[in-house]
Amino acid sequence: MRPFRRRGEEVVARLVDAEAGIVTLLLDQLEQLLTADRADTGGDPVVERLFPAGHTSDPEVAAEYRELTEDGLRTGKAADLATMRATLPPDGGEVRLDPEQARAWLRTTNDLRLALGTRLGVTAETEPPDDPSSDEGQQLAVYYWLTAVQGSLVDALAGGRAGRW
Amino acid sequence: MAGPLAPERAPDTTTDEEFDLDRPWVTVVWDDPVNLMTYVTFVLQELFGYDEPTATQLMLQVHHEGKAIVSSGPRERMEHDTNRLHAYGLWATYQRDT
Repeated sequence: MRPFRRRGEEVVARLVDAEAGIVTLLLDQLEQLLTADRADTGGDPVVERLFPAGHTSDPEVAAEYRELTEDGLRTGKAADLATMRATLPPDGGEVRLDPEQARAWLRTTNDLRLALGTRLGVTAETEPPDDPSSDEGQQLAVYYWLTAVQGSLVDALAGGRAGRW
Repeated sequence: MAGPLAPERAPDTTTDEEFDLDRPWVTVVWDDPVNLMTYVTFVLQELFGYDEPTATQLMLQVHHEGKAIVSSGPRERMEHDTNRLHAYGLWATYQRDT
């Protein structure tokens, strides 16, 4: 991966074939979670994290918030995911994003990290894997790779806002 | 606010309900092991228009103290702010100010 850099109004990165393949796979998995019937995913900690309670002390307020916002949140996540998929070169190559697309990537890479991080039980003390060949080591390596992608994207966008570019 | 010379109010003239209506609601962002510090700062700037030092300070408060109030106002607006934070994957809730 060549990390995101600012190019005028756009941000540009480069992914190799295998990286694009992994992202495609992760997007498919995330999409399944987003489109699954809520009845089938009830209690799934990843779904709970992607659609958190907006209020905690009064169940009525919490239910009202969910009813008011969950569909919109789901639609927004699905639209971001579709944008990321459409701007991802399937066999690797250059990723070039306008500001809107860059924000879709920001939110979706964050959802992917939240999903993976929740599944792997990532805490503030978690460190990159000692044994990247184990199953969990591989997943953790993907998590850290996504962190690098998202981190470079934030830096590229934040740098532009501070007028440093 | 009543000063020391203000007449004492009979307890039944101010109901809890009335008192509650005067209290604003707040949106709270909670610490989370996944979200990047730079990302949280970026989102707070993006959604609330905070300048970088203010957004960084709030992010650090979340990081060190476990939570920070990022906005306050009427309930509907706090619902909206919480929803916008959820769209960016931040862990946020809204509540009456305590």
